[in-house]
Amino acid sequence: MATETDHSLGEAVAARIERRWATLSIVIVGLLVGMAAYIGIHQATMPQGRVETADPKTLHLSGEFIESNLGSEMEADGSVTVRAIGQQYSFTPQCVVVPAETPITFRATSADVVHGFLIEGTNVNTMLVPGYVTALPVRFKAPGDHVMPCQEFCGIGHQGMWGKVKVIDKAAFRDLAAAKRRLTCVD
Amino acid sequence: MSDQPLFSPRNPWFGISVGVTAAIAVLSAIAGLIWLPLAQPNLKLAGVWDAICSAAGVPRAAVQEAGVKPDFKTSNVVMTSEMLTKVDQVSIGRGATLAQRCAICHGPQGVSDAHSPNLAGQFAAVTYKELNDFKTGARVSVVMGPFAAAMSDQDMKDVAAYYAYLPRVPSDNLDTGRAAPAVVVTGAPMRNIPPCGSCHGDIDNKAGSPWLGGQSAVYIKAQLEAFASGARRNDISQQMRNIARRMTPEEIDQVAHYYEAQP
Ligand SMILES: [Cu+2]
Repeated sequence: MATETDHSLGEAVAARIERRWATLSIVIVGLLVGMAAYIGIHQATMPQGRVETADPKTLHLSGEFIESNLGSEMEADGSVTVRAIGQQYSFTPQCVVVPAETPITFRATSADVVHGFLIEGTNVNTMLVPGYVTALPVRFKAPGDHVMPCQEFCGIGHQGMWGKVKVIDKAAFRDLAAAKRRLTCVD
Repeated sequence: MSDQPLFSPRNPWFGISVGVTAAIAVLSAIAGLIWLPLAQPNLKLAGVWDAICSAAGVPRAAVQEAGVKPDFKTSNVVMTSEMLTKVDQVSIGRGATLAQRCAICHGPQGVSDAHSPNLAGQFAAVTYKELNDFKTGARVSVVMGPFAAAMSDQDMKDVAAYYAYLPRVPSDNLDTGRAAPAVVVTGAPMRNIPPCGSCHGDIDNKAGSPWLGGQSAVYIKAQLEAFASGARRNDISQQMRNIARRMTPEEIDQVAHYYEAQP
């Protein structure tokens, strides 16, 4: 009889422990999913929302990446779209001009091999992959200059490949955009 | 305990763990595939199905049309590294006949003694691209424009194949002992200039970049200045203008004389 009581007691303890560990694991999984969701919403880091393709060989023939369409564009809703390409061994435009405190979307792609796209002093750090459009939202807090180096080895001239991002005052940008539809700061 | 089957709907442990796991999976899928995409206004999603597709990474072609069209002609050549690399004897033969009219300026052997570019041994893709750009007006020249205008696409390929077949001839200024300027070998990384040699053949060759060895210094200098000022704009997506713009007049002079002295 004594062994029977021991047995049911042991079973109850095992079940309790089992339940606690199961609850703990579920809470951990829930927390991780919640963290991913929180980070996703607050745009700290996020994979691209959409996969768009563009033929690297014909970027210069038609579509949004032709030479005359590259640079910063003021949209009707006040946001800014910047279009750029990376190629061996430069970015076009070489100098990107954007307003501070404005929602900005970068749309960029590569005309040949994989290039890097990094804006120093921000969390922008992605790749330009031939065949795909890299689109990412950015917001610059204050005017200033940032370097934009290619951070993905792209060939023997890689070290010479970088661009500049010039963040200027919102009002100054609006004045420039009124005079010209695609802005760059290439001198 | 031991007589109870473990994987059975009657085992409450089994039922609850499978149920909870499935619930987490479904909730995460709803959050990741529907809620999070829709929470991003800049994605401009058309609905739930669009949200699921874009989150799952279904590729779609970027269809945006250019809002600003160029006010000048740009090159329409589709450049690839395989372009015109196969040797075609018939094409070379036709090209030899067609090239007779080029000889006045470019020399009977593709080597000029004026300051027209030497074409002997030039990559076929390069000669073809320039001819095509002269024809479309992307590269402007009062001399070359009318010649190219009269040529068919096949003519241009044939002439290019013929000149690629001719052996390179070193210029009278050949001096292989001449030290290479820094901009040729290492570029000027601090000024956004990659080495010339990384595209023009000394170190590596980028499709569409000409071989420069033995080319007239006057010609090289004139072209670099034209790229820098924007007078010449047939380089696809500004690939050469971006570099020429950053070069100092001294560097332009150095590379022009260096390449002239090369084989
Ligand atoms: Cu690169």
